[in-house]
Amino acid sequence: MHALVAQTLQVRALRNLSAVDLEPGPRFNVISGDNGHGKTSLLEALYLVATTRSFRTSKLGELAPTGAPGATTSVRARIDDGISVHEQSVGLLGARRSVKFDGVRPAKLAQYASATPVVVFSPSELGLSMGPGSERRKLLDRVALYSGLGALEASESFSRASRERQRALETRGISARDLPQWEALIVQHGLGLMHARAASAERLAAAATAAFEGIAAPGLSAAFVYAPSAPTGAEAYLRALESMRTRDLARGSASVGPHRDDLAVTLGQIAARHVASQGQHRAIVLSLKIAEIDVVSRARQARPILLLDDVSSELDRSRTSALFALLGEQEGQVFLTTTRPELLDADWRGHASSATRRDFVIEGGVIRAR
Amino acid sequence: MRTRRIVSLLARLPGVGEKTAQRYLLFLATADPAIARDLGLELAQLSEHVRPCERCGNLAETENAGVGAICEICSDAKRDASLLCVVGRVHDLIAIERSGAMRGRYFVLGRLLSPLEGVGPEDLPIGALVDRIREDGVTEIILATPPSVDGEATALLLKRDLAELGVRMSRIASGVPHGGDLEFADPITMGRAFFGRQNM
Repeated sequence: MHALVAQTLQVRALRNLSAVDLEPGPRFNVISGDNGHGKTSLLEALYLVATTRSFRTSKLGELAPTGAPGATTSVRARIDDGISVHEQSVGLLGARRSVKFDGVRPAKLAQYASATPVVVFSPSELGLSMGPGSERRKLLDRVALYSGLGALEASESFSRASRERQRALETRGISARDLPQWEALIVQHGLGLMHARAASAERLAAAATAAFEGIAAPGLSAAFVYAPSAPTGAEAYLRALESMRTRDLARGSASVGPHRDDLAVTLGQIAARHVASQGQHRAIVLSLKIAEIDVVSRARQARPILLLDDVSSELDRSRTSALFALLGEQEGQVFLTTTRPELLDADWRGHASSATRRDFVIEGGVIRAR
Repeated sequence: MRTRRIVSLLARLPGVGEKTAQRYLLFLATADPAIARDLGLELAQLSEHVRPCERCGNLAETENAGVGAICEICSDAKRDASLLCVVGRVHDLIAIERSGAMRGRYFVLGRLLSPLEGVGPEDLPIGALVDRIREDGVTEIILATPPSVDGEATALLLKRDLAELGVRMSRIASGVPHGGDLEFADPITMGRAFFGRQNM
């Protein structure tokens, strides 16, 4: 299996990174520096150029440079996908986003966003186990996107139809004449999205269950099951929307639908949310991330680029070590940030040779080789 | 300043930014003065002589200012009056005309259903469309609103509202583009292409 490799990364005016030009190595790239100096922003830049999104915020306006409003944020990367080398770039000015693939605007955003699979592991991912369903929905959708299950188009159409219905409810009430049309479209695209998520969950579940067994205490098993919020039949879903117009008007969004889906995680048949210890939560998160890497790799026949943001601060020693052992075995490009590179050195021992590692230091948004 | 005013007027055109507007101005100011003069004369009379067609909403030309304008398609007797194609915008009409596939006439809605953009069912010219269908003895309607969420909702609404007229209704097919690769078609389009497959 070949691996996706970012050969160059050029960042201009993104948060506190005014100008960064990086030539990462094909395996491990360790970026160290104090908090607030731009480590995570660098990973964010790489994530942005690969996916057109940020893993830190849904508002791309927040990526504007600090202290220089009105400047154009741009990230450019040369990516080797194992077959050929291509260039991807994303530019942001205010709310406007322009993306180019080999200098050409792609016909579809999904085409661009799925070209370079990236898996990110940041402290906020702990929400995958403890937090609300949104993080798990995003995971399902990412896997669906990289697996070519078409969740992006369905998701965009579903959300547009949902917002149109909500506005119709708000402006013209529960008997608005066009509600049946919006509801029909919500059901059509909602079912498309649910279908993609179910397939995505099925792939993730098998890999995550296996990974959990390798990490957690013996005898403890975890199960991961897609839990759709809406009825899975078109008729029933349509009836549910129709009967809940009054309630939906009051709560400001539909009471049922893919926007409230979840990936249910259970430990010994009880919801993990209620019973899992801190350590078990971490094991669940790590299992899901390992599953994500595994499923995306298999779907694309290529190792995704991994972005690990300060993982050792969130995982305990033995789990960090388990993660590094896995990464040492797998091929693929990895970017790691840390405030304490010396701690990383200890975890590292035995898992990866220093020849495969390239070290960088970031200070005040300026990066140099260590 | 005259030049600045012209640049800011040109920059209001779709697809024209400040730099392009600047280029247009430089060209008009330095090239053959006849170009600017002719353009100015035409533009000054544009709103009097080019107006929406009274019957379909397409662009229509008229020599007599003040008299209702009827477009070329609506006044073409060779067109099949019983076949009516409903489109969202004049742009879409032009695209369909270019294909040469439509032998009937058109009705331009001018907007699509979208509560988010402040367009509800009452803001669509459905009454005028019904009048048109009755007056012209239309027997078949092709709903050619775009395959977007708003376009689909508009088509679904028209389908319901026009049902009682008893005319035949069809929706344009959506499928994979000509000369394109199947692998790049999004799943919604691909699904529609399969659903709308034809015997051969």
